[in-house]
Amino acid sequence: MDKTERQFSIALLLPLPLILSSICTCTLLLLLTLTCTATTHADTDALLLTFKSALINPNANDALSDWGTSTSVCTWHGVTCPENEDRVTSLNLSRSGLTGSISPTIGDLLSLEILDLSSNSLSGLIPRELGMLTNLKVLLLYSNSLSGLIPPELGLLQNLYTLRIGDNLLYGEIPPTLGNCTSLETLGLSYCRLNGTIPPQLGNLRQLKLLTLQNNSLSGPIPDQLAQCTQIQVISLNDNMLEGELPSFIGEFSALKTLNLANNFLKGEIPTDIGNLTSLNHLYLFGNQLTGNIPYELNQLSQLQILDASSNNLSGPMNISPDHLISLEFLVMSSNFLQGEIPKDFCSSNSSLRNLFLAGNALTGTINGLLSCTSLQSIDLSNNSLTGSIPHAIDQLTELVNLALHNNSLTGPIPHQIGNLTNLEILSLYHNHLIDSIPIEIGKLKRLALLFLYENQMSGIIPAELTNCTSLQEVDFFGNHFNGTIPDQIGNLKNLIVLQLRQNDLSGPIPPSLGYCNSLQQLALADNSLTGSLPDTFGFLTELNLITLYNNSLAGALPRSLLGLKNLSIINLSRNKFSGTIEPLTGSDLLTVFDLTNNSFSGRIPLELFKSRNLTRIRLGHNQLTGPIPSQVGLLHQLVSLDISDNRLTGEMPLSLSNCKGLMHLLLNGNRLSGNIPSWVFRDLVSLGELDLSSNNFSGEIPKEIGNCSALIKLSLYNNMLTGPIPVEIRKLTLLNVLNLQKNKLSGPVPPEIQQCKKLYELRLSENLLTGPIPSELGSLTELQVILDLSYNDLSGQIPDTLGNLVKLERLNLSFNQLQGALPDSLARLTSLHRLNLSSNLLQGEIPLALSSFPQNSFSGNNLCGIPVGPCSDPPVSEGKHLSKAEVAGIIVVIVLVSAIVCVALMYIMARIWSNWREVSVSISDCEESNSNSKTWVGNGDKIQASKYRKIGSASTRVGSSEEKHSWGSDTSVLQMKNDAAC
Amino acid sequence: MALTSLLISSCLLFLAASPALASNSEGEALCAFKSRLSDPNNVLQSWDQSLVNPCTWFHVTCDSQNRVIRLDLGNSNITGALGPELGRLQNLQYLELYRNNFVGKIPEELGNLKSLVSMDLYENQLEGEIPKSLSKLKSLRFMRLNNNKITGSIPRELVKLSNLKVLDFSNNDLCGTIPVDGPFSTFPPERYELLTICTTGALTLYIFTILSNISLYIFSFENNKRLNGPELLGLASYDFGC
Repeated sequence: MDKTERQFSIALLLPLPLILSSICTCTLLLLLTLTCTATTHADTDALLLTFKSALINPNANDALSDWGTSTSVCTWHGVTCPENEDRVTSLNLSRSGLTGSISPTIGDLLSLEILDLSSNSLSGLIPRELGMLTNLKVLLLYSNSLSGLIPPELGLLQNLYTLRIGDNLLYGEIPPTLGNCTSLETLGLSYCRLNGTIPPQLGNLRQLKLLTLQNNSLSGPIPDQLAQCTQIQVISLNDNMLEGELPSFIGEFSALKTLNLANNFLKGEIPTDIGNLTSLNHLYLFGNQLTGNIPYELNQLSQLQILDASSNNLSGPMNISPDHLISLEFLVMSSNFLQGEIPKDFCSSNSSLRNLFLAGNALTGTINGLLSCTSLQSIDLSNNSLTGSIPHAIDQLTELVNLALHNNSLTGPIPHQIGNLTNLEILSLYHNHLIDSIPIEIGKLKRLALLFLYENQMSGIIPAELTNCTSLQEVDFFGNHFNGTIPDQIGNLKNLIVLQLRQNDLSGPIPPSLGYCNSLQQLALADNSLTGSLPDTFGFLTELNLITLYNNSLAGALPRSLLGLKNLSIINLSRNKFSGTIEPLTGSDLLTVFDLTNNSFSGRIPLELFKSRNLTRIRLGHNQLTGPIPSQVGLLHQLVSLDISDNRLTGEMPLSLSNCKGLMHLLLNGNRLSGNIPSWVFRDLVSLGELDLSSNNFSGEIPKEIGNCSALIKLSLYNNMLTGPIPVEIRKLTLLNVLNLQKNKLSGPVPPEIQQCKKLYELRLSENLLTGPIPSELGSLTELQVILDLSYNDLSGQIPDTLGNLVKLERLNLSFNQLQGALPDSLARLTSLHRLNLSSNLLQGEIPLALSSFPQNSFSGNNLCGIPVGPCSDPPVSEGKHLSKAEVAGIIVVIVLVSAIVCVALMYIMARIWSNWREVSVSISDCEESNSNSKTWVGNGDKIQASKYRKIGSASTRVGSSEEKHSWGSDTSVLQMKNDAAC
Repeated sequence: MALTSLLISSCLLFLAASPALASNSEGEALCAFKSRLSDPNNVLQSWDQSLVNPCTWFHVTCDSQNRVIRLDLGNSNITGALGPELGRLQNLQYLELYRNNFVGKIPEELGNLKSLVSMDLYENQLEGEIPKSLSKLKSLRFMRLNNNKITGSIPRELVKLSNLKVLDFSNNDLCGTIPVDGPFSTFPPERYELLTICTTGALTLYIFTILSNISLYIFSFENNKRLNGPELLGLASYDFGC
């Protein structure tokens, strides 16, 4: 063919995409046939060499090394001619390492029937000239890097019965012209980037047996026209974006062996007609949005080997019965909404079911129905609502390799028969309600690799027999009640990668043999009662990247051998009793989390720690570390949290810390740090949410730059020697929840600007030298809840009315200031107040009734009155006041004494009178003779004694009587009265 | 190729079995809570479940035993529902979720918060009824549910809350009557000094103070259009008008 002729034919072919489907292709074919006759033997030679030359570096390719060397093309590698002919009918260069593009001249090899260039690295377009190869029966270009559109001209290949061009970079739509290739039996366009819909014209391919379009971006529905492809055996449309419902005509494909529609957007129910597909072996519907029940008709698919309808929205009961599906090996219905129980005798005796995956449904009842499925190798029923216990007869499932029943509500113990499942590799029972101990028979499971029992209520000791399971790789017993010690022989588990025994009741030491589990990568023994020290052998755990031992009672110095653990990334030994230096933990430079809080580590912070540039969290609080904060901390640009609180650190904050710009927690409280609080803390560490510098020896003023740290939520500077004012810039800390500046030497006023810190729930400014009034603006901090403490300052003025707005406040302490005036009535609105201290101020006036329930010492040291202090008006000492017993007794004693003295005196006087008047006879009892003054007086005296005694007697029976004083005060008159009465 | 797809699907299922290396029940509960929320201000950014406990998370406060005692998310522009997982914060004392856009019901699991002192859910969009289970909150002193869309009657069971000091149900859509028996009236009526009763149509505000050796008590039921005032024993059922 000369050049002009070729150009002509191409020009004719150009409008093909537009008109091909509507016009008769015969004319074109005629044209192509005409050009075909022009091809000669000599041309073939040249054509193949042109093909070769389009490749990249063809001479380096072994497969093409003999091309061009001999005169007969038929002897060239990959070239086939019919016997005794020069006509090339087949070109097979599959897996020949070809790179470069396919030369359009290949379209001139008109005798070609088979073209196989699959599994190379060819790139560029598929030449549309291939449409001229009308004798072509097989075209295989799959697994290359061909790009561009699929040329519509391929629709001209009416003799083509196999077209496989998938696994390339082809894009665009599937050309409808392919519907013209009516001989097609195999159409493979999978693993490309094809989009658009599936052309209905494919329904014309009546001979089609295999249609694979999977892993593209095809959308739209599955066209009804496909119903005409009645010969079809394999349909793979999975991993596209197909929509619509499952077509019911699928039931008519009586020859269908594989139907794969997985991972599309198909909706609706599974058509019951699917039960007609009696040849079906493989059915994949997973990853769609199918709803409704599983049609019972599926049980008619007696040839079915694999059924996967997982990750849909299927509901209703578990309708599939392996009892009927005797060929079924895989039954996968996970992640649906299936309900109900697993039917009793789920399988028949000749069941082939090997894999049963029903995880993530809502299945209830027991698992006993599965015991009939004796060929089962894998069971995953996790994430359901199964109840009951694991049946003793579980050992009927002798083939079992994987058993996953986690996240259910299974009860009872693990039966000892589990030890008979000697093929078991995975046993995952976590998050159930299993009880009792691990059966010692578990030691028979020599293949067991994964044993997850976490989050159950199991107890007892960890049996030593477990260490016979030498294949174990992952063991997780977290969150049970296992007690006793970790088995001494744990070191037998040489394959162990993960050992998690966290949150149990384990005690005793960590067995040194654990150090021989030298595959171990993750070791979590936290939250137990382990004692003793870390064994030296831990130095052999060179693969270890995570070690968490927090909340135990481990003690002693760390073994030096730990320096060999170069892969450590996460260390948490907090809340133990470890002592000595922390240096042995700094062998790795891959550390990210380093938490040794609450131990007794001493010595300096080792500089080796700062080799791990990816450290995000350093927590060394509550130890006895000494020395300065190393300036190398500034190398840790990833640092988010630095907590070295409650140690014995000295020196100043290192300037380099300002490089740790991502720092969110900086806790240096409880040390002996000194110097100023540097202004760069607030200028550079603007991500800080929590800053605690309290209980150190910091001096100087609080830097005004504090306003830059607007992310601060907790700020604590208490118990230092800070001076100067509280900077007004504090108003910019609008997220602040807690502000504690207590116990410093801050002076000046409480800045009213603090009202901008609207989220404060705790505010402590006590024990400073603050002066001036309490700003009324504090009343707008209505979220104050934990405490408002302004005590021990020199605040003066009145308590502002607005404090009554703090309706959530539970504690208010304004004691030991110079506050004056009356308590505002508004304080009655402090309805949440639990503790109140206003003592030792200059307050006066009446305590509002609403505050009267607080104890007296809330108000003492003021001039306040009212309940509970005392009444406000100043009434005279109450006459009605009751006397104490002691007072009464005293009064009686005085009366008796006075009476006795009076009596003695009278007797003396009487004796004198008697001696003067002894000649005269006097009748004492004669009243008439008592007229004389002296006689009356004497007689009176006599009577006094008698009546007085009587009176005392009566008074003594009435101790505490209110009349006591009266009787005492008007003694004489009463006696007089009695005397009169006696006469 | 078909078989490959199957293996992908089933392998994922077994991968779901992974060790529980860094979980803490309270941290898990908080993360479960977080997962329900939309948090445009990134208030919950520090909530990292890979940490051994939630005590270094912002807006979470622990006691010295690393148990969560405060949750402070007031005024944080959070949207979402409260979940049952909050009931797993066994030691929580302060639940401060006020002034957000929390929606849905108050989970009955909040009744499991045995140490809870303060439940501040005010100014949200909560709806549904006040769960009866809240009567189990024996330590509760402050219960502020005002300014939500809570419906139904006030559960009589709340009379068991003997430590209750402040109760604010105002600005909701409650119905029925206000209990006068049980906890609401361990204080005999004659000892109440009725400070204010302002009635504007169906708008009722009751503030009771009690002159006892305890303190001031505030019970507010303002602005519940279908609430009928204190119940008269024997005359109307508590859900009268619901």
